[in-house]
Amino acid sequence: MRAIWRFLSSVKLAIVLIIILTTASIVGTLIPQGRSLAEYSARYGSLSGLFVALRLTRLYQSAWFLALLLLFAANTIVCTVSRFGPKWRRAFRSAFDAEAKAVLSLRSSCRFRLSLPLAAAGERVRTELKRRHYLLSESAGDNRAFIEARKRRLGWFGSDVVHIGLLVILAGGFTSGLAGRRSELALSDGQMADVPRASFSVRLDKFETEYYPQGGVKDWKSTVTVIERGAAVLTRTIEVNRPLTYRGVSFYQQGYGWNWDLARLVLEIRKPGQSAFSRAVTLKAGERAAVDDPDVTRIAVRRFVPDFVIGEGGQVQSRSEEPNNPAALVEAWKGEERVFSSWIFAKYPDFGQGHGAAGAAAPPEIAVVLKDYAAAAYSVLEAASDPGAVLIWIGCALITLGLFVAFYWPPREIRIVLEDSQGRVELAAGGQASKSRDAFQAEFDAIFERIRRPA
Amino acid sequence: MTESTIFTIAFALYALSLVVYFAALFARREKWAGSAFVLAVLGFLAHTAALILRTLTSGHAPFTNMFESLSFLSWAVVLALIVFGRTSRVPRLGPYLMLIVVALVALASSPLMPKSATPLVPALQSYWLWLHVSVTLLGEAFFAVAFIASLLYLAADAEEKRTRLDALAYRAVAVGFPLFTLGGLVFGMIWAYRAWGRYWAWDPKEVWSLITWFVFALYLHTRIVMGWKGRRSALIAIIGFLAALFTYFGVNYLLAGLHSYA
Repeated sequence: MRAIWRFLSSVKLAIVLIIILTTASIVGTLIPQGRSLAEYSARYGSLSGLFVALRLTRLYQSAWFLALLLLFAANTIVCTVSRFGPKWRRAFRSAFDAEAKAVLSLRSSCRFRLSLPLAAAGERVRTELKRRHYLLSESAGDNRAFIEARKRRLGWFGSDVVHIGLLVILAGGFTSGLAGRRSELALSDGQMADVPRASFSVRLDKFETEYYPQGGVKDWKSTVTVIERGAAVLTRTIEVNRPLTYRGVSFYQQGYGWNWDLARLVLEIRKPGQSAFSRAVTLKAGERAAVDDPDVTRIAVRRFVPDFVIGEGGQVQSRSEEPNNPAALVEAWKGEERVFSSWIFAKYPDFGQGHGAAGAAAPPEIAVVLKDYAAAAYSVLEAASDPGAVLIWIGCALITLGLFVAFYWPPREIRIVLEDSQGRVELAAGGQASKSRDAFQAEFDAIFERIRRPA
Repeated sequence: MTESTIFTIAFALYALSLVVYFAALFARREKWAGSAFVLAVLGFLAHTAALILRTLTSGHAPFTNMFESLSFLSWAVVLALIVFGRTSRVPRLGPYLMLIVVALVALASSPLMPKSATPLVPALQSYWLWLHVSVTLLGEAFFAVAFIASLLYLAADAEEKRTRLDALAYRAVAVGFPLFTLGGLVFGMIWAYRAWGRYWAWDPKEVWSLITWFVFALYLHTRIVMGWKGRRSALIAIIGFLAALFTYFGVNYLLAGLHSYA
């Protein structure tokens, strides 16, 4: 038990752990995390098996990484606890008794004589130190007085506060990992969904995308109503950076999309020979429609993609869900004869009109233009409950507070021994500051200059 | 005067300051170094005006793309020089810090950097943009001071100089570390939680700022608890700044992740 305590109280262990955690973290950024097995074998070949076995592909969630973090936490606890006692005594011990020699060995020191009785000298020292906001504790010996002066004592505990904050953050991280839940809700306007693991539902009233005048998305806004036991409780607009929290569940604007499978397409049939001819047909992908015309009797949309691209294998794909290059595969018949079969593009109406019936050399009798396409947009909301988050914020506050106290509020300590020698007083003083020593030295000199020669 | 004209004036003043600093160094004229410092301060004032003007015209914080954040980082490094330059009694700090500043501004001015202020994507429309980026870059500017002091330490020969450089590096880390922690990690986590619903996603940029934090934590613990000083401390501070630099630049170009916009 004692051996374990000694092992865990070592700062060397902390340093070794920090180095290991750093190295592991670097590895985790070099190997993409959480991809498919196929992607790893394509990227790393025979090494991929080893990477997966060592959990380097889900490194930050792996048992060994979490075990290192737990060891790091135990190390931090033991280091902090074992150093706390001496530090506490140093900050709050009430009296000291030391030879003048010990006091003079401190970083800043001075000694001189005052032509005053002991009591008056003590009073002068006291007044000057109090004026500088030092807290004093005193004790007396025979013909001697000891004055211990300290200020900014909190500074000694800044690092402890940082360590506690770090532990609270680690606890928060583990809590989030174990108890945090998140799920996606994809909702179209008017649609309602039960929130998983909660006793209420949300309904999307309206989803809108705002654009800048010069293009580019400005904002996504989902107006939702929370419905509990059949009654609407509240209505709120969720935006990126403005989540809604209700009964411990937060809703984030996470994404959006369009129901392209149900897109409503408007096709315009033209005849290159008759410029006045135009016939509009509205239909969905996969549907066919009858046309009342001697040259075209039927038209069908085989497929629709919002962002046309030809993939590596030569097959048509959609590069994204954005309507960057909407295209439809359209076929048209005159009786039983197919007179048109081609991909047509909303943004490039002249492209794809060249070939009529497959392989036919004759000029096409008709042209088809994709005039319009419209699909209902849906909003993707993330419903998340994260009981660890509150610990994270407490931990962050502690770390910040601790760091600023430790680095910007360094404690100062001055010890003074006054010794009566035949009606005069020998003064010996020493002091130290844990940081900003130049500033302390200046204060130390000023204090004792005034004690020696009061204005 | 337009913002880009003022920015160019600031650049010119910085470059002039750099030249005068090195002239002072090689000619051993202490007074010239004083003029170089004044030039740097004048450049800083012009730079401040350019940043304010840009904020007013674009309506958002001046660090939403590489040009803007480089410009702000160089501004922060000059600020760190103003904080430490006069008190550190290290004559070489000014010239080498200004070398970093001029390099950053030159990089920002290169034709490869898009300069126009573009409208903000939804995730960036938050006042956390101000807090997260400005405080982080301020912290990194002090790491730059520690970096220069540590490099000079390794090159210095006289014991007295070394002591001063070692102390300067430590003071710079002591100022930069709390700022970096607050801006980079704490504000970053709060913003991520508001925008994405998770405070930590092990995104490469997040991991690299944690790595930077670890390296400086190592610097502080080896120094304060184990009494390391001098050469070994200097090496850790140099690694720490390089990690911060990689977090800032490298991650964007070499590793993919959530922080693709900045």
